[in-house]
Amino acid sequence: MSDWKSLEAKSFYGASARERAIGIVDEGTFTELAGPQNRMSSPHLPVLGEAVEWDDGCVTGVGLIGKHPVFVISQEGRFIGGAVGEVHGAKMVGAFVLARQMYDRIKEEHPDELAERLPAVVISFETGGVRLHEANAGLLAHAEVMDQIQESKGKFPVISLIGSKVGCFGGMGFVAAATDVIVMSDLGRLGLTGPEVIEQEMGKDEFDSADRSLVYRTTGGKHKYIMRDANYLVEDTLGDFHDQLTAIMDAPYDEIVKCRRIGSEELVDEQLALAELSVEMAPKDARDVWAYFGNEDVDQIPEMTTAEFLAVAKRR
Amino acid sequence: MALRELNFTFTPEDPRPFPLGWSHRGVVGSGDMEVMFEQADLGGQVQVKVCTPVVGFDEVWERVLDRCIKESQVSDVSIEINDNNATPVVVAMRMRQAIEEARKEAE
Amino acid sequence: MTTEPKIWNTLERDYRERLEAARPYVMDGKVVEAGDTVKLLEAVVRPGDKVNIEGDNQKQADFLAQCLCEVDTDKVHDLHMVQSVLSIPAHLDIFDKGIAKKVDFSFSGPQAGRLAEYVRDGKIELGAIHTYLELYGRYFVDLTPRVALCVGVSADKNGNIYTGFNTEDTPVIAEAVKFRQGIVIVQVNEIVDEVPRVDIPGDWVDFVIQAPRPFYIEPLFTRDPALITDSQILRAMMVIKGIYGEYGIQRLNHGIGFDTAAIELLLPTYGEELGLKGKICSYFVTNPHPTLIPAIESGWVKSMHCFGGEAGMAEYVQARSDVFFIGPDGSMRSNRDFAQTAGHYALDLFIGGTLQIDKYGNSSTATASRIAGFGGAPNMGCDAKGRRHATPGWMKCGEEYGMHDELVGDLPRGKRLVVQLQETFREKMAPGFVDKLDAVALAENAGLDLPPVMIYSDDLTHVVTEEGIAYLHKCTSMADRMAAIRAVAGFTEVGMAEDPAETASLRERGIFKTPADLGIDVRRANRDLLAAKSVKDLVNWSGGLYNPPAKFRNW
Repeated sequence: MSDWKSLEAKSFYGASARERAIGIVDEGTFTELAGPQNRMSSPHLPVLGEAVEWDDGCVTGVGLIGKHPVFVISQEGRFIGGAVGEVHGAKMVGAFVLARQMYDRIKEEHPDELAERLPAVVISFETGGVRLHEANAGLLAHAEVMDQIQESKGKFPVISLIGSKVGCFGGMGFVAAATDVIVMSDLGRLGLTGPEVIEQEMGKDEFDSADRSLVYRTTGGKHKYIMRDANYLVEDTLGDFHDQLTAIMDAPYDEIVKCRRIGSEELVDEQLALAELSVEMAPKDARDVWAYFGNEDVDQIPEMTTAEFLAVAKRR
Repeated sequence: MALRELNFTFTPEDPRPFPLGWSHRGVVGSGDMEVMFEQADLGGQVQVKVCTPVVGFDEVWERVLDRCIKESQVSDVSIEINDNNATPVVVAMRMRQAIEEARKEAE
Repeated sequence: MTTEPKIWNTLERDYRERLEAARPYVMDGKVVEAGDTVKLLEAVVRPGDKVNIEGDNQKQADFLAQCLCEVDTDKVHDLHMVQSVLSIPAHLDIFDKGIAKKVDFSFSGPQAGRLAEYVRDGKIELGAIHTYLELYGRYFVDLTPRVALCVGVSADKNGNIYTGFNTEDTPVIAEAVKFRQGIVIVQVNEIVDEVPRVDIPGDWVDFVIQAPRPFYIEPLFTRDPALITDSQILRAMMVIKGIYGEYGIQRLNHGIGFDTAAIELLLPTYGEELGLKGKICSYFVTNPHPTLIPAIESGWVKSMHCFGGEAGMAEYVQARSDVFFIGPDGSMRSNRDFAQTAGHYALDLFIGGTLQIDKYGNSSTATASRIAGFGGAPNMGCDAKGRRHATPGWMKCGEEYGMHDELVGDLPRGKRLVVQLQETFREKMAPGFVDKLDAVALAENAGLDLPPVMIYSDDLTHVVTEEGIAYLHKCTSMADRMAAIRAVAGFTEVGMAEDPAETASLRERGIFKTPADLGIDVRRANRDLLAAKSVKDLVNWSGGLYNPPAKFRNW
C-alpha cells in the first residue's frame, strides 16, 4: 500500500475502495473495521460458484478529520460491480450504528465540544445497486441504510463521495440522494437506472449506452453540479476529496444540512417543479438544460477542466 | 457448481520466515485475486489455501505457487487466496508484490 | 470459308448497355438520387457478376451495401463478391437473400462466426481468404469486379471524388474496375460544387449518390490507455529494450492492440530514459493510432504513412504535416495498397499480438467456429524475399539467423524482424500457446484447402511473453525453436513440457532472455510508466486537436 501522502495525489477515479478509505481521512488515522482478516465474505456466492472477497466489496472503518470521528463506507467496483449483498449491506448499517453510538458518547463526555467533535458517516459510492445473486438481502440492505440515514438526521451529517469508475446507480442512487451532502468529481456519475438498462428497456435511439459522452452529459459530475444534485464538484484526486470533506466538517451542522435535496416540504415542491419543467421544455439533451439555466457555449462544457467549469458554470 | 478449495503445502530449501504478522493485498476483480499472508509456526513450511471458481487447473496452481515460493523462499506463513479467474501471470505478480512489500515494510 | 469477324470489345459494349439501362435514374451529371439507388443497382448489376462492396476494417460503403440487399432477386442473383471485408451485417445478408453466392475476401472481423455458419450450411461458396495485397493483386488478374460500390466524403456532379483522410482502398478498386470497362458507383456524404481535392478522377466514376447518412467508420485503432495492464507494460518494456534498442529498429509497423499501445505510451518515458530517442521508431507505417500522440509530440516520429484514417484524428494529423502524408488541400491521404507495399518491403520490423501460437511457432487468430481472415498482417509479418536494401537492424537479424549457412551459404543477407506479443493465458484461462492451432480444426469444419495461419514459424523471429523473449531466428534447428517456445510459454501445456536444463542452455546462447537477463526491474512494470493514462490525457497531449469518438469520451 502506498503511503498516505502519495495517496493524496492519486486519482480518486482509479483508486481502490481501501485506498479511498485511507485517503479521505487525515494522515494515519484510518482503522479498518470488519476487514479482510475477519473474513466476513458472502455466504451466498460460494454455492453459486462465484468468487468471494473477504470484505464483500465494502471497506468500513473509522478515521479522523480534525477532531471529527469519520465513519467510512467505501465500495469496491471491481468486485461484482460494487453490488450490495447481505454482508456488504450489513457493514454499511454497522458503520451508521457505530457513528450514532459515538455521537451519544461525545454528547455525554464532551458536551461543550460537540460541534468540533461531531462525527460523520462518509460513503464513497461505487455501485450499481442490488447484487442480483442475493437480491432479497440486497434490497433489504438498501431499506436498512435508508432507515439509518433517517435515524442520523438532527445528529450528524451523512456525506456522499462519487467519483469512481462504476459511478453510483440503481437503488444506491436513491440512497445517495437521501444523504445530506453530495461531493462529485467530473468523472463521477450518479443516476437511478443505469445507462445499459435504459438502452435495453427503451432502445438505442432513446439512449445509446455506448455513447460515453452522452452518458456523462446525462449522469456526470458537471451535469449534477448544474442541477444542484451534487453540492460540490472537486478535482479527481483523493486529496481534493479529503480537502472538501474537511471544509464541510468545519461548517456548523445546521449549515451542512442546507445541502439536502429532499426531506422537507419546500424541497419536495422544488423537485416537483423540476419534473414539471422537464415536461414543459422536453429537453433532447442535457445541453438544452444547461442552456436553459443560462450557460453559454454548452458544447464546450464537457471539454472544460473542473476549474474552468467552476469559474463559469451557471447552476439551477 | 460451487466454489472450490485447493490446499497445498510447500517446503522451501532455504526458509526465510514471513516478516510481518499479517499482510493483505489485491482486489477480487474479474481476472484478479486477493491474498492474505499470516505468520504461522509451520517449522519452515508454507501452507496455501486457494478458493477459486476455476476447474481443471489444479496442477497449474501448484506449479505457479511452487515457483513463487522457490523464488522468494518465504516460509512459516499461511497463505490464503480468493481467486476470480486470475491468470498465472497475475497470480505470480500479486504474490511477488506482496512478499517484496512485506519484506520492505519489515526493514 | 467465311468466319464472323472476332469482336474485341465485348466488355465495352456490355458497359454501354448497362449505362443505357441506368439512364432513367441519372439526374444532373452523374448524380443519382439516394431513393433511386436500388433501381440503379438492378439496372447495372447482372446475374453472376463479380461485385465489390468497398469497405475495410475502417470505412464502409454501408448505404450501397444496404441497397444491394434490397434488389429484386429475379433481376440480380448469384453474384460473386470480391471485396476486402465481410464486416457489416449487410455483407452477409446478401447471401442470406440469395443475391450473392460466392465470396473472395480478406478479413471478416465481427461477422466471422456468421460466415463460418453460412459456409457450413452451403449458403456461401468460399473462394479464398487473402491478405489485402494478395486480393488487390488478383483484382488485376482473375478477380476483376464488374461493378464496384465505393465510398467517399464528397463528390461533384462530374463524379470527382474526395475521400478525406480515409482514402484507404478506393484508388485500387476504382482503377481495377474502370480500366476493365466496369461500373463504379460511389456513395458520398455530400454532393458539392467543388471537391477540396480529387482523389478519384471523375472519368473513372459512373454514378455518385449522396447517402442519407454519413458512411460508417469503425474507430478500430483506438485503445483507451485506462485499460492497459501491468503485464502489457512489462512486455512493452522488454520489446523496447530487448528488441527495438538491441537492433536499432527505425522503420516499423505496429499491429492493432493494447500490447502495441503500451509500447507507444512507453516511448516518451521508458524509451527516453534508455536514451533511445532518435535511435529507434523514427519511421512508422501504421494507422494514426491516438496512443502514438505522446511519442509524436515528444519528437520521436519523423514520418508516418497510413493505411487509413482513424476517427477523431483528422485535425491532429492535419496539424502535423511534417509527420504525415498531407495533400495540397491540407488534409491527409491514406492508401492501403501503398502502405501494405511499404509494410512488406520497406520496414525492418512488424510487431503484433495473436490468439494462438503452436509448439512450432506458427500463429493464428482463427478459432474453430469463426472464419476471421487476415487483413494485412501477413504482408508485414513475413520476410520479404524480394528485399534488396540493407538497414542495420535487418542486417543484424540476418547475421544472427541460425539457419543462414544451411540455406544461403556464406553470402550476407538480412532478415525482417517479425515479433509476436503473447500473453501466456488470456481471460478465462484461454492458453496463448497450444499443441495444435484451432485453425486446423476450422479448416476441417469449413472445408478450407489451407488452415488460416497468420504468421508461419519460418517467418517468426521473436516471441515476447511475460516470461521473457525468445530470439527464435537464432535457433539452428526445429528442435531448438520448439525448446525456445516452451521457455516463453509459461504455465500453458506447451510451457509445462519445458526442460529446465535445456532452457538454461538457451539462456547461455542468448536465445531466451528473461526480464532479469535484460536488466528490467519487474516492479517498475506498472501504469505509472505510461505517458498517458486515459483518453483525456491523449487529448491534452494533442493540445486539444484529437477529438475522440463519443464511445471513448468519459467526460
